[in-house]
Amino acid sequence: MSETQFRVMDFDCPSCASTVERALANVEGVESVAVHYSTGRVEIRYDAAVTGPDAFEQIIETQGYTPKPA
Amino acid sequence: MDPRSVKRYYRKHRKAVIVAVSGLLYAGGWSLGYVPALDTVSTATLILAAIVGGYDIAKAAYHEVKSRTLGVKTLVTLAAIGAIAIGSYWEAAAVVFLFALGSYLEGRTMRKTRNALEELLEMTPDTATVRRDGEQREVPAREVEAGEVVIVRPGEKIPVDGDVIDGETAVNQAPVTGESAPVHKADGDEVYAGTINQEGALEVRTTGAGTDTTLQRIIRRVEEAQEAQSPTESLIDRFARYYTPAIIVLAVGAYAVTQNAILSLTLLVIGCPGALVIGPPVSIVSAVGNAARSGVLMKGGEHLERAGRIDLVAFDKTGTLTKGETAVAAVEGFDTDPDEVLELAAIAEKRSEHHLGDAIRSAARDRLTPATDGGTTVSRTDAESASPDARSLPEPDDFDVVAGKGVVAGHDGRDIVVGNRALLDERGIDVSDEIAEYVRECEESGETVVHVVRDGGVVGAIALRDGLREAAPGVVRELQEAGIETVMLTGDNEGTARAVAEEVGIDDYRAALLPEDKQDIITEYREADHVVAMVGDGINDAPALATADVGIAMGAAGTDTAIETADIALMADDLDRIPYAVKLSKAARRNIYENVGLALVVVTLLLAGVLTSYVTLALGMLVHEASVLAVIGNGMRLLRY
Repeated sequence: MSETQFRVMDFDCPSCASTVERALANVEGVESVAVHYSTGRVEIRYDAAVTGPDAFEQIIETQGYTPKPA
Repeated sequence: MDPRSVKRYYRKHRKAVIVAVSGLLYAGGWSLGYVPALDTVSTATLILAAIVGGYDIAKAAYHEVKSRTLGVKTLVTLAAIGAIAIGSYWEAAAVVFLFALGSYLEGRTMRKTRNALEELLEMTPDTATVRRDGEQREVPAREVEAGEVVIVRPGEKIPVDGDVIDGETAVNQAPVTGESAPVHKADGDEVYAGTINQEGALEVRTTGAGTDTTLQRIIRRVEEAQEAQSPTESLIDRFARYYTPAIIVLAVGAYAVTQNAILSLTLLVIGCPGALVIGPPVSIVSAVGNAARSGVLMKGGEHLERAGRIDLVAFDKTGTLTKGETAVAAVEGFDTDPDEVLELAAIAEKRSEHHLGDAIRSAARDRLTPATDGGTTVSRTDAESASPDARSLPEPDDFDVVAGKGVVAGHDGRDIVVGNRALLDERGIDVSDEIAEYVRECEESGETVVHVVRDGGVVGAIALRDGLREAAPGVVRELQEAGIETVMLTGDNEGTARAVAEEVGIDDYRAALLPEDKQDIITEYREADHVVAMVGDGINDAPALATADVGIAMGAAGTDTAIETADIALMADDLDRIPYAVKLSKAARRNIYENVGLALVVVTLLLAGVLTSYVTLALGMLVHEASVLAVIGNGMRLLRY
């Protein structure tokens, strides 16, 4: 199981953070996700054989936010 | 301007550009609406304003629906589409523009709040100069291994945690401890990653690098604190989970009954309790972030809310209110030369690890070292023959520690006892009234006294004193002015305790306590409905700190457990920060309630206003966004506390 972190500084509301959290959780191979509105921290545990940070970054971007490596 | 830089500028400021364009279109369409002939143009412009401003919102709404979250963006999108459908173009454009503007401002201000931490994140340098295979090499800081020697030039940031092995300098430790004054560092001193070497070159033996540094631990703690949900926050989240669906049901029901589409759409717009859910996290992030920059680590969530209710602060005495460095204040000989008394005591205490023993040995070193022959009166031949340096005081022939009472030793055929009255009584040693009186007087003035006994007779007494921290009286006064009760807990005897308590001006004190007694007293206070904070060093006082509602550890920079476990950890050994930390907690708690209160009032007024048709779509959105910004602004005040 691998782990990665991003920082999204431009969440504008708590529900935006939970939308991103759900979208990431739906990705195949993602074990667990925590998206924190207050700090903008995104933590993901995932199976590296199935998915990876690039996919996560893309999802966050599609939703209209800017992920930065933590 | 070349197109690429325009593109880059757009990408960076996309949200601002969208808001501005949508705003201009909205204003244009609205003005055109006053010219009857241009009605169609006006409508088209307003729809365009709604599309430009609403594209991103609708996209986010799509994701919300896809991931089955009922978010504010879905509600706003529905309201805007609905408004266009019933021909309220002006309302649609206004709602979208106001929401886009509000979101943009919210994102910006939240970024600023989150940045309080980014400053800390950027403290650690990326590279380090290490000595490997006899040569200096530049390597990534996180790849330095424990035990490796890092070279830090003047003016550079220290890249790792470690111990100084060569060099001498002043280090600005503000990033870690919040202390503004530079700290002197020489051989054997601990330095922290992220602090700034201001003067000389240093060689540092690494104890931690990369994520295993004090600064990184601090950052993790701060983030955890900021992310922890406070009880108020969880309550609101539960409320919000029902509130939004309830409003939607209400909107549908209202339409079914009244056929008033605008009323229903307006209900949708106010269906997201924005200010309510944003308030508490913003207050907590701001308070915790502010504290971290001043070298105070606060646990978040429920701990912070509890800290806001502190009404009694218990201080450990030694090392907290006092400097924790006991020194000999006076040596009294009873028909004996005081120097001889000191020397006897020093020999007996030679192998003692007690802090009183340290103080006696160090006094003996200072007073008994013969500067020149016949200079200081060193009365016994032992010291002179042993060495001119009292560091090599003669070893006692035998030595025993009587825990909590003193030591018993033998040297050169003499029995030496150094200890308190209890030890003397236990051994049947007579104490004359004159001596008892002397001891009592010393104790009343806040000194700790040990008797020195040679061959069964008291030959003298040594008075020791642990100096008060200069800041102590001011700190206690400041807490009292904030309406907080103060108590001192100490293992010292009654007389010493009273003297120190009077000097500090503390409300109450408890003396002659064993470590476990401190815990019991904290429990007693808690049972008497006090919210108790206990201030101590985080190691010896750990149990009492854990028992208190809020444990405040001082000088935590060097102790990882204190950083991890204390509710509030003062990185510097600085008593001054306590009133600040306590008041900040109180301000944070008040701030959370202000935000919740404001949000509830706004939601109630909006709901009432909508149902009585005083509030329409655009006004509802305006008030909603304004209240969110007001709450964020109020929370951010804590950043400047």
